[in-house]
Amino acid sequence: MHIETLIVDLSHNPFNAELNFEVACEYNRLNQTASAVSFYLRTAEYGKDTHPSLVYASLLKLAECFEHQHDRLHTVSNAILQAIAYLPYRPEGYFLMARYHERQQNWQECYTWAQIGLYESMLPINALPVDVEYVEYGLAFEKAVSAWWVGRKDESVLLFKQLLEKDLTPEYRIAVQDNLNRIS
Amino acid sequence: MNLVQKAVAQGGKLAPIVIQDAIGGMNPSIFIDKDGDILVNVRVVNYTLYHSENQQQFPSRWGPLSYLHPEKDQRLVTENYLCRLNSDLELTDYCKVEMLNLHQPIWEFVGLEDARVVYWDGYYLIGVRRDTTTNGVGRMEMTAIDLDKTNWTAKETDRVRLEVPNSYCEKNYAPILDKPLHFIKWHNPVEIVRAEGDQVVQVSLKQGITPAKDQRGSSQLVRWGNGYISVTHEVDLFKNYLGQKDGIYRHRLCIWDDDLNLVGISPEPFSFLDGRIEFCVGASVLDGDLLLSFGMQDNCAFILRTPGALVEDMIAEALSAH
Repeated sequence: MHIETLIVDLSHNPFNAELNFEVACEYNRLNQTASAVSFYLRTAEYGKDTHPSLVYASLLKLAECFEHQHDRLHTVSNAILQAIAYLPYRPEGYFLMARYHERQQNWQECYTWAQIGLYESMLPINALPVDVEYVEYGLAFEKAVSAWWVGRKDESVLLFKQLLEKDLTPEYRIAVQDNLNRIS
Repeated sequence: MNLVQKAVAQGGKLAPIVIQDAIGGMNPSIFIDKDGDILVNVRVVNYTLYHSENQQQFPSRWGPLSYLHPEKDQRLVTENYLCRLNSDLELTDYCKVEMLNLHQPIWEFVGLEDARVVYWDGYYLIGVRRDTTTNGVGRMEMTAIDLDKTNWTAKETDRVRLEVPNSYCEKNYAPILDKPLHFIKWHNPVEIVRAEGDQVVQVSLKQGITPAKDQRGSSQLVRWGNGYISVTHEVDLFKNYLGQKDGIYRHRLCIWDDDLNLVGISPEPFSFLDGRIEFCVGASVLDGDLLLSFGMQDNCAFILRTPGALVEDMIAEALSAH
């Protein structure tokens, strides 16, 4: 729906978490990440007690918006940490936290967050209302990558080989194969 | 009920302004040029305002209200984009205003901030600049612009910094559109000033009605009926128990007679979209309706077409309150 229509709808019910989320997503689609931040944050603040999936997704999308703005690392990690604290049984936040540290080459942090995520998020979960770049084998992938860098080569190789048995996206399959070629 | 809701319910229109080159826009100022073009200046910044509302369960690391600039660049940088809208308030043209390179900025707030659009003998933008001293002294500046409406480019050609002795920060002067170089500087008492060269000269100082709260300049003063109207803002600034800053901005409609006596003001402040931080920087009259331009949380820019009948209701309410 057009941003104008969405905003007008929101003006009738300004504290509605779902409407704020729709506005945020539309601004994000338009690459207006500063605008999107405002409405993702309103979704979180006004939906905290009623819309857990929207709130959780909003916090992760906040992190994504700040990541796209570059050089806001503390804010990116803060938003992911808030999501994890809000719904600690979901895997997406752990995955994004591990990936964040992988990108910073904080290998022990990456390994630890991936391991916590694999341990904590064992329950079946419903899908989030938006894509947050999570894949179900993401935590295992992050653990495999970081394991090599923290001195656990054999574990890393084993994890990558196990990943190859899974139904991976082409990007992940290439990454897994490349890593295995380099380290084994 | 917020003003957007009222205005749209009575046939008005809300138009978001989205500039593709930016990650957001803020504090737009609207103005109808002498040839009928609807101009809007949009402030584009390098930071994202982070403001937790409601119970503030998800603040930033620096508190519920933070200016999130790049972590390796402490500056809060403003650039200005001049836009043209069609009569449906759709964006048809925009360009970044190419400013003169007159000095190296030496304070964290860089650029011309919260510029109001006028047209006074070539001067299009009037805002505050705080980057010429090492401690953020702010002064109103008038910027002349060569606006090429065929190719839609805008270049600053001249700049006047209005000097005021013994003051740290001068900002939010409200331009009186049909009185070139005249501003409402303060609202209680009402102080009208005029720019003479690079000096600010007091024209008059008189007590109007007394607002419930200190009112600061927001929109320009525009002609309405036999007088003028303008939108002002008021601010509650406070800190939470951790000493972290926070704030709420609200607006009121001011009614002025033909002699610029303040004769009415909204008895209650209003919000545009029920955001805690909103800022109106422009007003213009189009076919009997009032166009108000405002920013929300420094991250979004909107134009609200407010039906004339609703404006009349607001004026009547403002006048009857005093």
